[in-house]
Amino acid sequence: MKNVFNFVFLLVCFGIFSAEAQESQNTILTNFQTGDYTVYKVNAKNKFEKVKKTWPVAITKTGDQVSEVLVKRSGILDETFKPDVPGYPAYFAYKTFRLTFIKDHAVYYEWNGKQQAKTKYVLVKPGGNFSSNWEDTNTKVAKYATTTFKNQTDARANVKVAKAEMAEAERQANSLDGKSVAKIAIELVATPAKVAHFSEAIDYGIVATLKDGSQLKTNNLGGKLPWEDFKLSHVGCSNTSERVKVDEDASKIPNDEVVLHASSISHPSLSAKKALATTNNVSVQVNRNGFYGADRARATNTATFGASQRGGNGHTLVIKVKGVKHKQTGASLNKIEIYDEYEQKTVAKYKLSPSTELIINANGGNGQWGSDGSSNTYPNGDRGGAGGNGGNVTIIKDPSVSEIKLTVNNNGGKGGKGGKRYNINGTAGATGETGSKGTTVTKTNSVTLNF
Amino acid sequence: MKKQTVLTALLSLFLIVGISNTAEAQLGKKAKAALGLSKKAKKNSSSAKSKSKGGAKFSEFNNETDELGITGEYFGYTDQAAVGLKFVKEADGKIVDELHYYEKKGTPSLKLKMKESYFRKHQIKMFFVWRSASASSYVEMMEVAPGVFAILTGDRSLNEYDQPIPLDAKRTVVDLGAKNKADFETWDIETAQAKVDMLVGTLKGAAGDKAKKQLMKYDVYKNHVGKIAFAKGTNYLRNQKRNQPTEKEANFITKQILGETVAYKPYFDQPLEQTHPGAWFNVTYEMAGETTDREALRKSSSIFGKNIPQIDDDQDLFYWFYPKVTINTSNNVADYAFLELLRLTQDKLTMGKTYDLKVTVWAYKDGANIDPVATGTIQLEYSTDENKTKKRLFEPVQGWVSKIETVLDE
Repeated sequence: MKNVFNFVFLLVCFGIFSAEAQESQNTILTNFQTGDYTVYKVNAKNKFEKVKKTWPVAITKTGDQVSEVLVKRSGILDETFKPDVPGYPAYFAYKTFRLTFIKDHAVYYEWNGKQQAKTKYVLVKPGGNFSSNWEDTNTKVAKYATTTFKNQTDARANVKVAKAEMAEAERQANSLDGKSVAKIAIELVATPAKVAHFSEAIDYGIVATLKDGSQLKTNNLGGKLPWEDFKLSHVGCSNTSERVKVDEDASKIPNDEVVLHASSISHPSLSAKKALATTNNVSVQVNRNGFYGADRARATNTATFGASQRGGNGHTLVIKVKGVKHKQTGASLNKIEIYDEYEQKTVAKYKLSPSTELIINANGGNGQWGSDGSSNTYPNGDRGGAGGNGGNVTIIKDPSVSEIKLTVNNNGGKGGKGGKRYNINGTAGATGETGSKGTTVTKTNSVTLNF
Repeated sequence: MKKQTVLTALLSLFLIVGISNTAEAQLGKKAKAALGLSKKAKKNSSSAKSKSKGGAKFSEFNNETDELGITGEYFGYTDQAAVGLKFVKEADGKIVDELHYYEKKGTPSLKLKMKESYFRKHQIKMFFVWRSASASSYVEMMEVAPGVFAILTGDRSLNEYDQPIPLDAKRTVVDLGAKNKADFETWDIETAQAKVDMLVGTLKGAAGDKAKKQLMKYDVYKNHVGKIAFAKGTNYLRNQKRNQPTEKEANFITKQILGETVAYKPYFDQPLEQTHPGAWFNVTYEMAGETTDREALRKSSSIFGKNIPQIDDDQDLFYWFYPKVTINTSNNVADYAFLELLRLTQDKLTMGKTYDLKVTVWAYKDGANIDPVATGTIQLEYSTDENKTKKRLFEPVQGWVSKIETVLDE
């Protein structure tokens, strides 16, 4: 037992000392100088063979750190290798090749995502020795690299800190923090042609004018003013920097305008607002079609047996329309609410100009194809599933509605095709019945909509 | 009509067989040996070697001159055999810019076509020939130094007879030819391969500049360099051809219901292989004060290791050809790193509230995120509709959070 303990203890110590003994390339390269290196290349049999000419290798240092290693391949091609992490390099990289110095030589290798090395050359320093085989060289360099990666934590952190410091310096130079700011303003990158549900995104930026007259702009206006300087509280659109999209729900656009609003975090008294009246002129299509017969189980959450399933019915909808005036421009608008009786909820709230088309699709789903005859016992093809019925659509217009461009598609779904017969003794299945067309009823009644 | 079709088919077949056989015959022993196309290569090369020792067959070619300084007698690196190369600018009153390869006097064994634009723009002398449509029939010769040519094969089959294989194809140097045998002390196969890679790198750089210029004509790319675009489905972000982003910005979204499909696509300033050679992509998700990292998760457990694949495609592109998703409800696919984010944040999420999801695509190498290459933020709204976010995420069996908790419990 005591022996086992001692053995484990020795192993642990060995592990610790090996890890501690791992040196970065900066340390290892103190034993290497610029000069002509003897080269061994790997032949087709994965054996090393000596190359006739030596290759010049130039090592450049900045302070204690190696900043680059220039390998002059065959004395004619320049390959400049750079350290992976300058403070604690595990290798030097040139394109996808890596160079790692170990003892008397440098291993020139390829690296793959599985943390494996494939040596291409070994470059031995003047007066140095090399006598390893290809497999051992690969293993050795991979082990060195992976162990060194683990020791790079501090150096990587330093690089990260340095990058963060640079980013912070740039942020501060362009930020409103600590600066005397006269005003901020929101500018559109381009004037949007349409401001409506489903219209294209609206790109905007912020311009800050300092008291000395100079201006700082956000990146999309050609500057570097950080978006993090501002608190955004847009209304009627997504609350996002750089680009917004108009809300699809009219109840979230209370005053028929999209309002972009930004306030400075470091100068709370400074804020900017840009209001864009909605144009309400993008045609909208609402799909409440029945499901395809083959999807019956998933759509209804109930088990089905065999093919030939009937398509789902188009949804029964109640569409309420009320005429209102645009709160900014005074133009006529139709306020529209669509209630889906199948799902028992309101599925859409829009405001559209009278000439903008609203298309309602409440078609029945197509029936599933029938199964083919499968054997001499069952030679007949099955009948295709029936198509679902079109949904019944009721349109209730308030007397205030003078014009509405509304198209309702509520046709019955097509019947599924019948299955093929198995052989001459069977019969092909018949096509399923087409679903019946839904009704479309238009009424004029007083309508109250709470948005 | 039928007769004509049959006749055309027969004629085509005849041509294909004819070209193929002629090419075989024309390629000759030494080139075959160099390209490794014949089992007799070894035997032939040794006989060629003995012949070449007997005296140069094409020394008179050295008396001829051409404007590119190519014409002359060349010796093979692998077999030291002599062949003749002649640059032909004009034939029958027309500019042809061909390299004629001779194994015996008289008619050339091969005629390679020059890629004129490479020479015109970059002074790179490159010639190629397709002997048939297969990849193995492609031969390319590229001058790596004055009087030294690399002979290459490629890994792509024919697209156009008048064009060499594309720059992103794999080119392998199989032999060298030099006017002066002493050049072989400097030039071997690997060195020539390195030089070819450098020359192709130069051409790729130029092609990249051209591609970038072309891409900047597309508003969708111009407006999204370094950014990530989001959409309600992958179909809104896909396109058919490389460097032709035809997706419509109108379909991009900035807000979505939490739990519904969000597809995303990053657009890069430069391809990853240019900015971070040897790196691949990583993605981090940040929301409600939590962050998840695909690569970190991949290494944290075998479950994540199995379900989060490395993103090591498209390093040569300016955007991902196939968009990725956080969740795709149409085919029940999700990114495990995003699901883990939902699992971590579930107690902070409240119905009716909206959360910013920041997605960052990183250049990743040696176990660390090196630099962000694209970022984007989308707002995710926790719907007040019980059947939306709540059901999608927390339904006891099928909810995404429930699913990942089950997976982790196992």
